Order: sequence, then structure tokens, then C-alpha cells
Amino acid sequence: MKDLFAIMKVMFVEKKDIALSVLCGFIAGITAIGLFSLSGYLISKSALQPPLYTLMILVASVKLLGIISALSRYGERYFSHRGTFTMLSQLRVHIYEKIEARTPAIFRQFQSGDLLARIVGDVETMQHFFLRVCYPPVVLMLVFISTIFFTSFFSFWLTMIILAGFLFAAFLIPAYIGWKQRKIDYSVRKSRGDISTQASEFLYGFRDLKIYQRIEEKAGQLQEAAKKYEAEREREGIHKQFAESINIFFSLLISFAVLAVGAYFVTTNQLDGVFLAMFVLIALTAFENTRGMAVLPSFLEDNRQAAIRLNSIFTEEKAREWGNARLQLEKSPFIRIEDVSFRFPEETRKTLSNVSLALPPGSKTAIVGPSGSGKSTLMQLMLQIFPVYKGKVYFNEEDAIYYSQESIWENANVVLQENHFFYGTIRDNLAIAKDGLTDARMEEILAKVKLNHFQLQDRVLEKGANLSGGEKQRLAIARALLKKAPMWFLDEPTSSMDALTEEAVYRAIFEAAKEDTLLLITHRLTGLEKMDQIIVMEAGKIVETGTYTELMEKKGYFYDMKQIERSVFYHG
Amino acid sequence: MADLKALAKKEQKKMVFLALYAVLSGVAIVSQAYLLVAIIDRIFIQGTAFSEIVNLLIGLFAAIFARTIFQYQSGKTGLKMAAKVKRELRDAIVRQYSLNPVQRTIQGQTGQKISALVDVVDEVDSYFSRYIPQVFQSLIIPIIILLVIFSEHVATGIIIIITAPFIPIFMIVIGFKTKDKTEEQLEEMSRFSGAFLDTLQGLTTLKLYGQSARQKEAIRTSSIGFRNATMEVLKIAFQNSLVLEFVSMLSIGLVALEVALRMIVFQDLSFYTGFLMLMLAPEFYTKLKDLGSAFHSAKESMAAAKKLEGEFANSVQPVTWGQEKFISEKPPAIELKNVHFRYPGNEEFALSNINMKIRPLEKVAIVGATGSGKTTLLHLIAGLVPPLKGEVAVNGKLRSKYSESSWFNQLSYISQEPYLFAGTIYDNITLGSNQTVTKEEVIEAAEKAGISALAGSLPNGYDTFIGEGGRGLSGGEKQRIAIARAFLKQPSIILFDEPTTGLDLQTERFLQSSIEELAARSTLITVAHRLHTIQQADQIIFLDNGKIIASGTHEELMDINTSYRRMVTVQQGGAI
Repeated sequence: MKDLFAIMKVMFVEKKDIALSVLCGFIAGITAIGLFSLSGYLISKSALQPPLYTLMILVASVKLLGIISALSRYGERYFSHRGTFTMLSQLRVHIYEKIEARTPAIFRQFQSGDLLARIVGDVETMQHFFLRVCYPPVVLMLVFISTIFFTSFFSFWLTMIILAGFLFAAFLIPAYIGWKQRKIDYSVRKSRGDISTQASEFLYGFRDLKIYQRIEEKAGQLQEAAKKYEAEREREGIHKQFAESINIFFSLLISFAVLAVGAYFVTTNQLDGVFLAMFVLIALTAFENTRGMAVLPSFLEDNRQAAIRLNSIFTEEKAREWGNARLQLEKSPFIRIEDVSFRFPEETRKTLSNVSLALPPGSKTAIVGPSGSGKSTLMQLMLQIFPVYKGKVYFNEEDAIYYSQESIWENANVVLQENHFFYGTIRDNLAIAKDGLTDARMEEILAKVKLNHFQLQDRVLEKGANLSGGEKQRLAIARALLKKAPMWFLDEPTSSMDALTEEAVYRAIFEAAKEDTLLLITHRLTGLEKMDQIIVMEAGKIVETGTYTELMEKKGYFYDMKQIERSVFYHG
Repeated sequence: MADLKALAKKEQKKMVFLALYAVLSGVAIVSQAYLLVAIIDRIFIQGTAFSEIVNLLIGLFAAIFARTIFQYQSGKTGLKMAAKVKRELRDAIVRQYSLNPVQRTIQGQTGQKISALVDVVDEVDSYFSRYIPQVFQSLIIPIIILLVIFSEHVATGIIIIITAPFIPIFMIVIGFKTKDKTEEQLEEMSRFSGAFLDTLQGLTTLKLYGQSARQKEAIRTSSIGFRNATMEVLKIAFQNSLVLEFVSMLSIGLVALEVALRMIVFQDLSFYTGFLMLMLAPEFYTKLKDLGSAFHSAKESMAAAKKLEGEFANSVQPVTWGQEKFISEKPPAIELKNVHFRYPGNEEFALSNINMKIRPLEKVAIVGATGSGKTTLLHLIAGLVPPLKGEVAVNGKLRSKYSESSWFNQLSYISQEPYLFAGTIYDNITLGSNQTVTKEEVIEAAEKAGISALAGSLPNGYDTFIGEGGRGLSGGEKQRIAIARAFLKQPSIILFDEPTTGLDLQTERFLQSSIEELAARSTLITVAHRLHTIQQADQIIFLDNGKIIASGTHEELMDINTSYRRMVTVQQGGAI
């Protein structure tokens, strides 16, 4: 529950709509009861043949109440929805802030699965929180308090019956239903997980299953999982139906009790018979409002789950406090790493152990090595994407720990393995590089990276889905070229390009980076002759360092890798 | 298959029950009103003793109870019907998926297929669980109520008959138009949350470029902008329900006014009848209004059914098989004669006019640029996709004459990304064999494939869980699992998709030696990315744009084919 309260604090900033929804809901509820009780009284009074003017007054007030009720119902809907959308926007901004503060380190967590998509889904789920969980009980309570206040002028015992009924219908029954709901929810989620797993195994493993002749068997398992899932869904549906029926039955039962006891009181002269119909109609109408409470537990449970997940990203272990000094580089820096070791929290093996290296100002360095050898992690530590706990990173011999992350990134042209492109145009995606870029400048750079077949106004889909792998890499490089910072960090920037394009792109990079300090991770060993130094990594350690000729003459690890590469055939 | 009305027609027995429950509910509702009014009439007007109404109270309790029970039963019947339909739909979808040749599962987005099977089928639910029961309720119960009203007090009946049609008319005139608008807005909403997701996913990039603060403001303003646009649409929807509310209220008001006038001014209507009218009229309008919301959910279901139709419509030609048992003492000879293949719906790509002969125990290397059709050719040989034209012959007989299982028993396919199933390493290796195998055999196969070191480094050894939800393996490690499967199976044909990227030194060596060992007893057909493999091949098939442009040994091709020669030499040179 405390997760929900934490989310509530974020969501309920804008109070006006909340107050208006409650107010309108209350008026709508109370006037509806007024309308029906008054017509109950009206009809009873009519039987006693009163003067005509009482009838006119009553009819007029019934009409008036009806109109007020309908209008405030409208207001309630309007304000509660507007409030909900405002809250969602608060929540989105909040989530964005939280994730932003831990970016990029937190993205390691998001890599596996579609955690991010789930977060966005959870935000959408929270739209029911105010609408179905929060304010309806408040309105209900207010309506009942007023009703009970009104009825207490007529009969103590009837009031007590209504009060007891209210407690049951609004709290005890929903609590019981919610308690059962939780168990059912759990098994529904579990069986849903099963069917998804079975289905993805069946589809992703289709070729292997076919060859190993396990298609029938696996299809059977999938159908079995589907049946189980459906059985759980059916159980869930029947439970909801049951909850609803219990609620309806109970609200009718209260009206029944009011009628029975009221009738008895009339016979014992404790109640004027003219009020009997009114009481029955009060009970019938008032308890109609409790029906929403039957579905409340299931929304509450959904929201609770969503809130737990959303909070888990807020309460993740506290990120390191970064320094706040600004790194200011006039020209290309001297970068040095001293005895850095690193282990990801969830892993037992060290990703890097005791790595030291130096990048002199204006030097060009390549890191090579098999995948999983720690190349990317090393680069990300230099960029302070992950905090360095053991060892030191220096910029111009100043400990990087004093600098803010942002100021380091400001001075770096970074191309990561995964670069993001936003829904929009090529221009939009390039413009984030720097303020005040002209179209001409962008077009010039596009030509340099061989993307001149694109116009600046061409559409880019979400995640650059309409671009090929090589095009995405070139666009990312174009962005880095536009930024013109004095340090370069490139992580396999050309892995999806053909040799010719690769060559042109490298030429553009090296031309732009002539004066700059550059670090390049590459999986291809061709064209490394020009680098000032090559660092060979394996299993988190540096195994060799030197220039291309030095390493080739040494006939060590690099030489062996080169031999294998020679034999691997890339088909452009 | 996914036509909801047709599916519903099959459930006639349940429909009869739904109609029955609606009638019984109607009777219960009417009885409840009668008894309630009768009790108040006796007590208030006639002044009878309490003991005389006890029977009526019992009756009222029974009516309330019956009303709830029948409502519950109606809902439950709907749910059962929905569950049955959904079960059948899922069965049919799975059957459809499993009949398909490999091509579709590889082509189509798997995520979308999973969501069709799980979520889209779920969306069909409310048509059966809500809409159909509600239709029965909204058709039958108002008629029963109306009949009772007419029998008691014709004037009320006439007022209702005149006013009631306004409710469906208003629903149709204004309701549907805005419902479409609302749906549009809902779609807009999913697009909007898609854009939010897009921004979140791009946060690393935004931050590295120092743009994240600006983006926050963008999220806030677009969020509020979206809210305002949505409110405009919702406002219309809410106004419509306001109109409906007014219509029903006005009608009930008319009924009440007429009743009151008759009672007071003309004094020709009893309290009993008048009150009964006042009790029944609201029930009548509520049932009518309920149909509107049920109809909304039915529309969602219909949209889902439409999506499902796509899963059934896309039928592809399956691979044909025969009855004959494929037994191979020694590796078979394979021949492709004039084979053509094209993916359905993809006009551009095709394999055309493929002619090749593979002798027993031969090592064949398929080479060619990306997109030249190498993997498709491997699928054709494997019998995972059917030839569109031409024939595939094995040992001089059409492959389609052999039975599927006897053919696949002799075949191993080692892809670049072999699929690992949720289970232990041990389970994943034994998948290779159809016979029962001993633990020793499994471990021997694992050792030959170089998995023993991997297994040894893990705390649970061969019992470590891998695959979905288990420990992740690298591409090289996955291939070694697939090779272990092949060692266990000892097939006479091995199809191998070599890794396109260089692996670490140790894995490269292991891969090479274990494939060589496997090839000693089998025909080996490799989609080759290693010069070594190509040089060792007895026959190289050089593919370009879906056609074989040359075949022969490495030396032959170097001599006669310039583009082959260029491809090999470019590879040797430097790129930058």
C-alpha cells in the first residue's frame, strides 16, 4: 500500500479537479436520492388527496432535482477525467525525471526484456487509480453521511440498518472480494506467463522443433497452457460476476430490511406510513451507488501492482553522487586510466580487472578483443556512465570524480553500439547535436557519411525502424560530427556498413578528429595500421598494447586474431 | 473462423439458456415491484397488521434472491460461452501456426503472433461474456415490463411507447458518431504513450547530447495538450449521456405527472397502481440504456476478431511429405533440379533455376553476398520450405515421397542462433535425439562439442537452467549446444550456418574441429563465412541474387570466375 501512497503524492498535485469531482459526485448522488425519495413521498401524499398546490411544488422540485443530478453527473465525469489526465501527465514527467537522473547507468537494467514498455503501460494503468479507486469511496461516504443524517430525523432504527448496510456494502464485502481477487490474480498472471513462454518457445524455436520433430508435442503443450490460462480467466470472470451479484443482492437486501422494519414500525405507529415508500426508495437508490465498490478491488489490485513496479525504479540503490565541477576543454585532453576494476552488481565475475592505459592528447587508440572482453564497459567507465569504484580516471591529470557527468559528455562525441533515433525527421534527429545548426551544415555532414540520399525533412520512425543498420550508424556518426567536441568515443560505429562506406566514413571521422583524442572500439582488425596504439583485451584484462606493426611482429594474441579474421569471409 | 456472429450461432443451447434467464429475470423484476408495492399499499393505505404481510415479505425476499441468481447465471453463461469460443480460437491458431512451413514464422513478427494468441483472443471475450447476454436482457426484460404496465395502466404504457424509441434513436444519431471519435482518440492515446516510450528509450542519447531537460518540458506540454484534445472528445461523449439521461428522466417525469394527476385530480387511479408504474418505469429505461455500453465493448471485440482473421487468411503452401521411410546406411546423394522458390508476398526475392548435385559425404560450401539467398537454399535442402517449381531428389527419389519424421531423423541443422528451450543444458542437448540416451552419451556429446568446460564453470553443471528465464548464453555457446545435439543424433546430413562474425580464438578452434569430426560421417552443407571452410569444400555453390552463378572447387572458381576472385581478394586486403 505504501507504494500507492508514494505514487499518490506525485499524482495529486493539482487539487482543483479532485475537489470538483468529489463535489459534483456528491451533488449527483445526493440529488438522485432526493429525487427518488421525494417521488416516493409524492406518490404517498397523492394517495391522501392533498391540495393541488403541494403536488405542484413537489413535481417542480422533483424535476429540478433531476436536472441538477444529471448536470452534476456530467460535471463529475468531466472533472474526474480531466483530473486523471493531468495526473498522468504529472506522473509521466516524474517518471521521466527519475529515469533521467540515472541515465545511462539504469539502461543496463532495461536492456533485458521490455521493462521500459512495461513502465509506460503501468503509467497508463494508473489512470484508473483516481477514476475508479480514489474518489468514488469518498463520494460514497459523503452521500451516505448526508443520507443517514437525513433519515435520522425520522427513525433511529431504520438509520441504523442503512448505516450497517453501508459498512457492509462499502467496506466488508469489497475487502473480502479483494482478498479473494488477489489469489485469483496471482494464478491468472502465472498462467499468462506460462502461455507467453510456451508461445515464444514454439515460434522462436520453430525451425529446431521442426527438425527435431517436436512440433506436435510442443503445440500440444502450448494448447494445454492456453487451456489453463483460459480456465484461470474464466475463474476470474466468474469471480467478478459473483462479486457483482453479491453486491446487488446485498443492496436489495438492505432495501428489503428497511421495508420490513419500516412496515413494522408503521403498524406500531413509530413511523408515519406516508414515509414508508420514501424510505424504501432512499435505500434502493443509495445502495445503487455501492455497485462501483464491487469492481474497486480489482482496480486497486492492478494499481497496486503497477505502483510497486513504478516504485521499484525510484527506490533502486542510490546512484553515486557525481561531482559538480565543470570539465572545460580548450583542446584535446590527456586521458588516463589507473588500475580500474569493475564488476556489475548482478554478476559474480569481474568485467574488468586492473586496467591501466593512457590516451595522450590528440592520439588515436583502438581497442580490440572478442565480445565480452570488457571493451564497451571500459569505454563507458571513461565516460563516467557507470561510477568507477576501484581505480581512477583522469582528464588532464584531474580525477574525473570531481566533474559532473554532463560536463564530460558535453566535451565528447559519443557513438554507442545502440543509438537512439526519435520519431520525427532526419533534421530533428540531427538537431539534438548542438544548437543553431544550419541546414547547409547538416546536409554537408550527411554527404560526408554517404547519407546524401536522404533529405533533411525525410521521416524517421520510432527507433529509426525505417533505417537500415548501416544507415542508423551513419546517422549517429553524423550527429557526432556535428557536435565537434574534442574527445571521441566510438563503440563499433561501423559494424553494419560495407567496406567501401566504412572507409569513407572513417575518412570523415579521422579528418574531423585530426586534433582530437580518439578512442575506437572495433571488431574488425583491418585498417588499424594508422592508429597510434592498439589495445588488445581478453576477459577483462589488457593482454597486449602496441602499434599495428609492433603487434604483428610480436606474433601474439593480436596476430592470431588477425589470422582468423583473414579467414572469416564477410559478404559485403 | 473469426466471424463472431457465426461463432455465436454455434452456441445455440447457451443462447436458449440466456433467453430463459432473461425471461426469468424479467419475471423476478416485475414480481419484486408488485410485492414491494403491495406491501406498502397494505401497510400504508389499508392499514393491515404486520402479520398479514409476512407472506408477502417472504415472497419479496424470494423475488430479490431469484433476480440476483438469474442475473448471475446469465453472466456466467456468457462467460462460459466466451471461454469455449476462446479455447477453440486458440486451438485453431496453434494448429494453423504448426502447419506452416518455416518461412512464415521466420518472416512474420513473432511478438505480434504471440500477442494475437494471448491478448487479441482475450479481446474477443466481451462480445460473448457481455454483449450477447445484454442483448437478451435488453430485448426481453423491457417487453415483459411493458406488458405488465399495459395490463395495469394503459396511459403509462402509451407514454413509454412514445418516448422509449428516443433512447435508441439518440444512441444511433449522436452516440455512434462520437464513439468513433472516442475510439480515434483512444488510438491517439496509444500513439501518444508510444511517443513517451520513444523518448524514454532515447534518454541515453538525449543525455549524452545534453538535451534531456528540454525534453522534459516537451513531455509536460504535449501531455497537457493531449489531455485537452482528449477532453474535447470526452466532453461530447459525456454530453450525449447527459442527453440520454434527460430523455429517460423526462419520460419518467411524464409518467409520474400523469399518475399524480390521475390520483389527485381525477381520483380514478389507486395508490397501488400508481406506485407500481413509478417502480417499473425506471427499470425499463435502465435496461435500454445498458445496451449502449454493451454495444461499445462488442465493437472492440469485432475489431479484435478482424485482426485474428489475418492470422488465418495468410495461408501458405506447406511442405509435402510421403509415406516411404528414408533409411540411409551411408549419407545420401541430394539433387536439386530446376528449383524455384519465392516467399509469399515478397515479389522481389526469389531463388530461381537452382540445379545442383551433392554426392554422399561431400562438403559443400554456399557462398554469396548478404541477401543472395544462402539461408533460403539451406531451408529448401532441409525440407523446411517447399519448392515452388522443380524437384528435390534424395538417392534418386523425390524427397516428398519420404516421410517427414524419417527424413528429419537423418538431419541436423546448426543455425547461427540455435534456439534454446527453457530447461537445463542437459535437456537442451537431449532434444537432439529421439531415442532414449544414456547420461554418458550426452556427456560425451557435450565434451566433443566443447561444452564440458562451460558446464564445469557453472555451479549446477549440466543441470543449469538456460533459455527463457535461465542463464543467457553467447552465440558461440549456443552453437556448441546445437553441435552437441548433432553429436548425439549422428545424422547423415548436416546443415551448418557459419557465424558471420569472428568469435574468440578458443571458440573458433572448437567450432572448426568439432564440425570436421561431424563431417567425417555425414554430408556437410555449410553457408560459409570462413575462407578455411571454403578452401576445404569439395564443392562451392556461388549464389548471386537467387541464382547459382558458378560452382566448383576453390581453385576452379579462382581460375574461371572473376567476381569470385574479386570477392576473395577484397577480403584479404584492408578496408580503411
